Amino acid sequence: MPERALEGLKVLELGDFISAAYAAKLLADLGAEVVKVEPPEGDSSRRHGPFPGDELHDERSGLYLFLNANKRSVTLDIAQQQGAALCRRLAQQADIVIHNLPPADLEAHGLDYETLSEDHPELVMSSITVFGYDTPYRDWTGHALTATAASGISMRIGDPGRAPLWIPYCAADFQGGIHGAAAALLALRARRSSGEGQHAWVSIVEVVGSYLAGSALPGFVFSGQLRSRAGTHMEAFYPWQVTPSADGYFEVITMVDDQWQRFVELMGQSDAPWAADERLQARWTAWQWAEEIDPHWYTWMRERTTAELTELFQENGLPFQPVNSLDVVADSDHLREREFWQQVTHAEAGEYTMLGPPYRLSETPWELRRPPPLLGEHNDEVLRSELGLGDDELAALAADGVISTGVVAS
Amino acid sequence: MSEQAPPPLAGLRVLDHGHVWAGPLLGRSLSEAGAEVIKVEAPDRASGVVMGGMPARSDMDAHDPRRYHDYDRGKLGITIDLASEEGKQLYHSLIAVSDVVIENFSANVMNSLGLGYEALSEVNPRLIMASLSATGATPGPWRDLRTYGPSLAALYGIKSLLGYLDDPQPREDTADLDPTAAGHAFVAVLAALEYRDRTGRGQYIDMAQGEATMQRIAEPLMDYQMNGRVAGLQQNRYPGVAPHGIYRAAGDDRWLSIVVRDDEEWAALLRVAGEQAGDLAAPRFASLAGRLAEQDALDVSVEAWTVQHDPFELTQQLQQARVAAYPVMGPPDLAADANYDALRRTGVRMGPDAELGVDQLYHGVPWKLTRTPAEISGPSPIKGGHNDYVFRELLGLSADELAELQQQRIV
Repeated sequence: MPERALEGLKVLELGDFISAAYAAKLLADLGAEVVKVEPPEGDSSRRHGPFPGDELHDERSGLYLFLNANKRSVTLDIAQQQGAALCRRLAQQADIVIHNLPPADLEAHGLDYETLSEDHPELVMSSITVFGYDTPYRDWTGHALTATAASGISMRIGDPGRAPLWIPYCAADFQGGIHGAAAALLALRARRSSGEGQHAWVSIVEVVGSYLAGSALPGFVFSGQLRSRAGTHMEAFYPWQVTPSADGYFEVITMVDDQWQRFVELMGQSDAPWAADERLQARWTAWQWAEEIDPHWYTWMRERTTAELTELFQENGLPFQPVNSLDVVADSDHLREREFWQQVTHAEAGEYTMLGPPYRLSETPWELRRPPPLLGEHNDEVLRSELGLGDDELAALAADGVISTGVVAS
Repeated sequence: MSEQAPPPLAGLRVLDHGHVWAGPLLGRSLSEAGAEVIKVEAPDRASGVVMGGMPARSDMDAHDPRRYHDYDRGKLGITIDLASEEGKQLYHSLIAVSDVVIENFSANVMNSLGLGYEALSEVNPRLIMASLSATGATPGPWRDLRTYGPSLAALYGIKSLLGYLDDPQPREDTADLDPTAAGHAFVAVLAALEYRDRTGRGQYIDMAQGEATMQRIAEPLMDYQMNGRVAGLQQNRYPGVAPHGIYRAAGDDRWLSIVVRDDEEWAALLRVAGEQAGDLAAPRFASLAGRLAEQDALDVSVEAWTVQHDPFELTQQLQQARVAAYPVMGPPDLAADANYDALRRTGVRMGPDAELGVDQLYHGVPWKLTRTPAEISGPSPIKGGHNDYVFRELLGLSADELAELQQQRIV
């Protein structure tokens, strides 16, 4: 068996829902040994769905199953002293603690970096929270939508005069997770030369703002230019917009002049007076006249089906693509030939199909080492073998509700 | 704390063939983590599309380095003609002293130049190479499609989710595909470095930007795989949560985001609303099930309340009651926002850009390492601006040899 990229790396995951779980998933899929600490009632993603047949079941939520393959699950009620103490002991054995708990909760339970690093200076902690640490709103509460609004990005998505839009399905939480994972690996690498761990943190607001809102803020401060929402258009290059075809929608975007010229030629409009309009010739500024220019070519688009247009654009080397629905993507020959989809067999969820990894490493390929864990499936294995707890202690913890019952005895 | 430890990637050298956005952003992240990142460009070709810079200003042309500062900041710049034999040889000697190559050309461009991973790893078996192509390096019907981030997001279904519930036409997003891809590739490169440190072996990273970005829509994709259901436009909704929306507030184009996950938070919101609760206090909204069942009516009632209030004041009140709320921030709001200011500045040196004479506002580095903070090590390079350092100091060419190469337009 090939050695894995993060072979031997011990990660403890604390928190709930997407951001920390996605960060830990990236590490687990790269070979780290991740122990996911869940409250006795389980991570809230277990109750979120989607569920096969829409029947709620703790072990069958699609979101949970996606986020947690290759991990082990331990249940601990960290709000109880005994639970927090056990969690501290697990952290003492870890290289990395990755979490998305509110900073104040972490401190209240003695699980903050300062406390944990006293006896374990090599520890790396990666915190992923909406508002970050060392900021005035550290202790405010928020979710992906909150972060998207606070980052500045929502103000740029949607129609003028209508409600700004978020990026659906908690994209902001995933962005937080990606950078929480990167921060953990950077701190790990810094440890190699210094011998010391450190606290790394990301604010989801800032991750989203700096990477996704692009130049909106610097641009405003630098030039005073204020951009708001432009509905189906992006006010950057022209064209850059979602455009109707006869039977669907197309993303039409040009970034260099010859693409625009080729497009005009393809439509047979090279000699049309509108195409010669000087304002149209600069890709960076033409968007200001979009309302006036669009009608000149929207008719041509609307007269053709998505299939026809797809072929025409590819033949002519134009980077326009149809807005595909998810079934078209999921069932595409391309993803089949890439062997993107993975089959998983799970004790409670049965056979299901899951997304493959976001990247492929030639020497250390992704593999399914274990299906997503049942709630508390590894209480026994982890608490007994790694923390040395005995039967009586485990029984007492179960009786006190610190760990979930039922799975302990298995 | 004692003397500051070296940054995480100190001593690593990266060759950056990035263009447009995803590639340059990955190179920027590696640079901010302490690597020496060398941006490689062709001597006789225009720099192509540059992104991430300041919006148009009358005294800047499309290739003014100030425009794309944000994505190439802190890098060194060299030029090599990789199509020529001499250029290839020179490149090989650079590969021999480098650790990581990143590129986001179309699949197979590096292979067709004879500079694919197989060839390069023969020169340097410790080399890590990350290819961020649109649809992946292995064969498939989409491999040779032409795309930019926004059209790639359309192709992979991501755009089919963004829009209003009352209109089937998707709306334009702000193009998160490139940065999502770059972030994932950053994680992959760091993991490959861990592996190399233990084993001495480099490796090749094949990343399809479309597949990386699909991860963030795993939820509806799992629903399709499990139930055959195809998700459509979502507006501001999220399954199982209500209210979950952006609501009009008092003022011109002022909006407020509100997320209420459970009945306890709903009760807290009603306490904040007090006598103004009106319809919100109706029994049909008291339980999550009731709110989900009548979400359209719920949103109308929530907005009837929020529209009477300043979004910042209402945010304060709701946050004090532990309800997730925040105004929808525009650039002027962000420029004045204490929270954003704290984030932007933490751990980042933000100075005037001496070389270009511009007092530049940068985005900070959003991962904060408390012991080894990130740094923006310099401005964006002028094309080929570090040819002397790289070819003479690093590769040991003489002044005459470099001049000769420059004359032949190899450099």
